[in-house]
Amino acid sequence: MLDLIVSTLTQGLIYALISFGVYITYTILDFPDLGVDGSFPLGAAVTAVMLVAGANPYLTLLAAIAAGALSGLATGIIHVKLHVRNLLAGIITQTALFSINLQIAGSNLTVDRSSDTIFTAAPTMALFGGLSLLARKLAVTLVVVVVVKLVLDAYFRTKSGLLLRAVGDNSTLVTTLAKNMGNMKILGLMISNALVALAGCIVCHEQRSFSATMGTGQLVFGLATVIIGITLFRRLSFVKGTTAVIVGSVLYKACIQVAISVGLPANLLKLITAALFLLVLVCSGRKGEEIIHA
Amino acid sequence: MLEVRDICKTYNAGAVTELRLFDHFSLSVDDGQFVAIVGSNGSGKTSLLNLICGSIPADSGDILVGGKSIVKLPDYQRYITMGRVYQNPASGTCPNLTMLENLSLADNKGRSYGLTRGINRRRVDFYRSELASLGLGLEDKLNVKMGSLSGGQRQAVALVMATMTPLKFLILDEHTAALDPKTAEIIMQLTDKVVREKQLTAMMVTHNLRYAVEYGDRILMMNHGHVVLDKAGEEKKNTSIDEILGMFNKISIECGN
Amino acid sequence: MKNNTFKKLLTAALALTMTASLAACGSTGAASSAASAGASAAASGAASDAHYTIGLAQYGEHASLDNCREGFLQGLTDSGLLTADNITLDYQNAQFDDSIDTQIAQSFSAENCDLMVGIATPSAIACYAAAEDKNIPVIFTAVTDPEAANLTAGNCTGTSDKLPVEAQLDLIRQMQPDAKTIGIIYTTSEPNSVSAIAEYKEKAGDYGFTIDEIGVTAQSEVTQAADKLIADKVDCLSNLTDNNVVGVLSSILEKTNEAGIPVYGSEVEQVKIGCVAAAGIDYYQLGIQTGIMAAKILTGATTCDDTPFETISEYGIYVNSEALAAMNITVPDEIAAKAIESTEA
Repeated sequence: MLDLIVSTLTQGLIYALISFGVYITYTILDFPDLGVDGSFPLGAAVTAVMLVAGANPYLTLLAAIAAGALSGLATGIIHVKLHVRNLLAGIITQTALFSINLQIAGSNLTVDRSSDTIFTAAPTMALFGGLSLLARKLAVTLVVVVVVKLVLDAYFRTKSGLLLRAVGDNSTLVTTLAKNMGNMKILGLMISNALVALAGCIVCHEQRSFSATMGTGQLVFGLATVIIGITLFRRLSFVKGTTAVIVGSVLYKACIQVAISVGLPANLLKLITAALFLLVLVCSGRKGEEIIHA
Repeated sequence: MLEVRDICKTYNAGAVTELRLFDHFSLSVDDGQFVAIVGSNGSGKTSLLNLICGSIPADSGDILVGGKSIVKLPDYQRYITMGRVYQNPASGTCPNLTMLENLSLADNKGRSYGLTRGINRRRVDFYRSELASLGLGLEDKLNVKMGSLSGGQRQAVALVMATMTPLKFLILDEHTAALDPKTAEIIMQLTDKVVREKQLTAMMVTHNLRYAVEYGDRILMMNHGHVVLDKAGEEKKNTSIDEILGMFNKISIECGN
Repeated sequence: MKNNTFKKLLTAALALTMTASLAACGSTGAASSAASAGASAAASGAASDAHYTIGLAQYGEHASLDNCREGFLQGLTDSGLLTADNITLDYQNAQFDDSIDTQIAQSFSAENCDLMVGIATPSAIACYAAAEDKNIPVIFTAVTDPEAANLTAGNCTGTSDKLPVEAQLDLIRQMQPDAKTIGIIYTTSEPNSVSAIAEYKEKAGDYGFTIDEIGVTAQSEVTQAADKLIADKVDCLSNLTDNNVVGVLSSILEKTNEAGIPVYGSEVEQVKIGCVAAAGIDYYQLGIQTGIMAAKILTGATTCDDTPFETISEYGIYVNSEALAAMNITVPDEIAAKAIESTEA
């Protein structure tokens, strides 16, 4: 039972990085970015190739972040400079990334057990060597997610962060503040996709594999967790958005785990997810569209 | 000084609904002047402001500020030296940021928005005194989210934000139209105070003829993209509100209103 | 206000449900670990008393994979080492979702089940990853290239569903002595398909064929690819075990039947749907082979280390007489003698 809680928590935390990304694009920038479904495997593809080549596992974190930021830059340029609608801009990036990811990785790729990952490399062992692999995965993931959360929280308090929040809140004001709103959108997309790719990177470390189709449905996952998290904590103003979406992600993964453990028929799994999502939306009384800016 | 030279603007060019609003329209505004612009719907008042701010592009002609052409600059670059308060009180502030965060954003206008702290604690006292001068009791609500304030309160803060940094122009786009009469009066008085204190050049579009006569140094009445009445200084002082109302009714009837 | 209270109540109820379900899954987990504790105690005694928990993860609902699973369960008892009473099966289906696959495998690992089974490569990889620090043996099946998937080290073995490419080429040559070009549609991201295509191209020359292959990235592109191959006037189509292609096989067959182009399958299910013939795998047989292997490892008769992965020992020749007749293909006696008629009942 303890093992199950640990592994579910780990999954929830890893995927919370996607929730962070979607929180920025959807909640803050009001931009449903379908590029997420491509950035996630992109992070994994870059990571898999580097791990197979024997690169330093910690370096893959940075590489995935950089790759994700580039993918966000692409979506941003397509949307802002080429004036393609936001949904379509994301779809274009996602479609292109499917091929690019396969170009990077060759095909679906697995990493041999003898290769070190961020969960088994020497520095991790020095810190958490006393723990089982399962607990180590949770510890390392927790460190990454907490660091990302704190950095994001700090960023949102900077001048740039305030301006980014203003873009989604009131883009007219950003223009009257003599700032190019388009550039801020691009910046937001870069940060968001970097985080999503980081999630893909950690999944690749955890599963030792990249698959071209692993990104399918990740934007929907992200939206669901952001809305669940924000709805649950709507009345508690001291809970930060970043904290709320972590809880949303963990709850989502916990529900899947419950469905698996209770032994629900497999083909009902997605229906349960949809029902849960709907229930939260109805509870929120906002039906989704007003959740943005919440 | 602001100069609008030979501006042409056609909406829906080539379509059945084609509307040639401005045909070689020119106007100049002296520094320190408070221009009130009135006119019926569709007369081109708001279009004129949008052309100046770059919200809509001009088909031809030039716009100069202090002798320099700004017509090719994108809107956000023109706002470096311009402030604007909109009709909708929600347009001038961010509803999900606190008042302190809103003021800090506005306070930094013209500088870079980097990775330094968004809120400068040393400026908090200054913000408080600016808010106190509004007389609305807002100085105690710095940490309240903007969205929870009333329309009038938001418009007052929007006015403070728009005039916080040095400006060449203040654009007031029917900024009292969405408020109840009492609040509108308060905001108008505040506007007048700010404009006089900071010696701003201001252009105000309004539907309220009394405000135009009472607060403007100069009154422009527009109709179908033309200035039909332009009175400033002594000439304006000798013009009664009835005279302007008469003129206004005449053009309104022409429009079929 | 009343409405608000109602919503708060609903939210609270939702949160409670989640907590309650978590608690419920706790009891399930506790029950199964108690069962497995009993099992390991009994393992030293007679095999007939022993009890084993098997976690079986299947990637998705798919006729071949379903056959594989049924064959596997048959194989467990066919081994003579186990009966149904010895086994508790925890069967989970990931609905083709990699992240659900991960969670399924992790719950098996958390239950400390005695054996994990992964059907199809993604499930096998997920089980293998979940077992990394535990000594739970992982058995895979329906994995085409276990070496490329890095499933050959550690406490892991299984069966591969690698296609008998040469047998298929030989079959097509005998069925259509004048044929020159074989058209194949495959998904570029499926490593199994990519390696099969490579083998087809390498060996086609030996049988006097050229391969006209079209790569697709999604299922929606498959029928367009079929149109292209028909326009190219290929002499026949040959299928791999490519999920995207198999998923829309019926609509491919509609087009090829109209054009009079025979389609060869790669396993028995495809022939049942309407392919003329296949030199291929019977996934049920593959499952049985895997089940026997699993039973030996589970009862301690052997270990994964001593059991290298196996490919199907016998491939079958499957024919669909109706489809063959429609294409005016006569089956040579030599093939007819060993062919298994596989028409949908």
